[in-house]
Amino acid sequence: MTESPSFDHRPDPELGAALRAALEPGGADDQSVFLARVMAQYDHALGRSSVAMFDVLASWFRPGMVAATAALVLGILFGRTILDRTSPESIDAALAPAEGPGLAALVTAEDPPDPSVVFASLVEP
Amino acid sequence: MGGGGEGSGDDQALVVQTLAGDRAAFGILVERHAGQARRVARAVLGDPDDADDAAQDGFLSALVKLGQYDPRRPFGPWLMLIVANASTDRRRRRNVRRVEPLDTALVGGGPRPDAAALRSELNQRLRAALAELPERRRKAVVLFDVEGYSHAEIAGILGIPEGTVRSEVFHARRRLRTLLADWKEPMR
Repeated sequence: MTESPSFDHRPDPELGAALRAALEPGGADDQSVFLARVMAQYDHALGRSSVAMFDVLASWFRPGMVAATAALVLGILFGRTILDRTSPESIDAALAPAEGPGLAALVTAEDPPDPSVVFASLVEP
Repeated sequence: MGGGGEGSGDDQALVVQTLAGDRAAFGILVERHAGQARRVARAVLGDPDDADDAAQDGFLSALVKLGQYDPRRPFGPWLMLIVANASTDRRRRRNVRRVEPLDTALVGGGPRPDAAALRSELNQRLRAALAELPERRRKAVVLFDVEGYSHAEIAGILGIPEGTVRSEVFHARRRLRTLLADWKEPMR
């Protein structure tokens, strides 16, 4: 084999031709045999791919159903928890003290309130 | 463009026809690219039967994935990527690495009766020399020097930087020349 620049950015035609000959599968008959064997698998390959797609979908069906059911149950439980919480009927009810006129009544009263009553209403829990 | 040169002009049209269910169009694609697919597979696997199995796997895999092919890009490198991967997969599945053994009589410098025998000897030496190379280096030198792909195309096929491709081709050439240093006969 003759020497040529190894770090060449162009293909080496001599080495290429030698390698090509060494790797060449066979003659024209061989090529047609190969073509025939690939084409014999044509339908099978396409069928297999569609079967594989359904296999993938089927494999996801059960975990998908379990996940959806779990999400539904959690959603129902969460919703019920929220609804079960007792909420005050109005802002007056929320602000009303255990005893006395309450903050709203003090604010809307015509006469100024007794400061001790006002402070007492703010201090009340 | 390089290795797609085996009539790549209307590969895209054949792909479209194949996607439309035209079986004959796929046959033309196979016929057009079978040579390089089988050579690349053989460069990876060594054994010609294994190589044909891998090349067939590659074509059928390409058929199934044809919808993913970007028609704005050349078909050859896309197909070679699939064939090279199919070859690597088959090689991994093969537990024992089988390298085509050299004929010891030929290696030992025995009689060289005629040109056919000389050619056969050179081919055996080259296959053995290729088998000595790391797989990626083997693919790089075959895709570049045999199939005529550019460094950029090979980088895409092998999934490595272009500079690495240049380096792999350089080292492969150097190694092949070392292994074949004693070969004095003309190759053509």
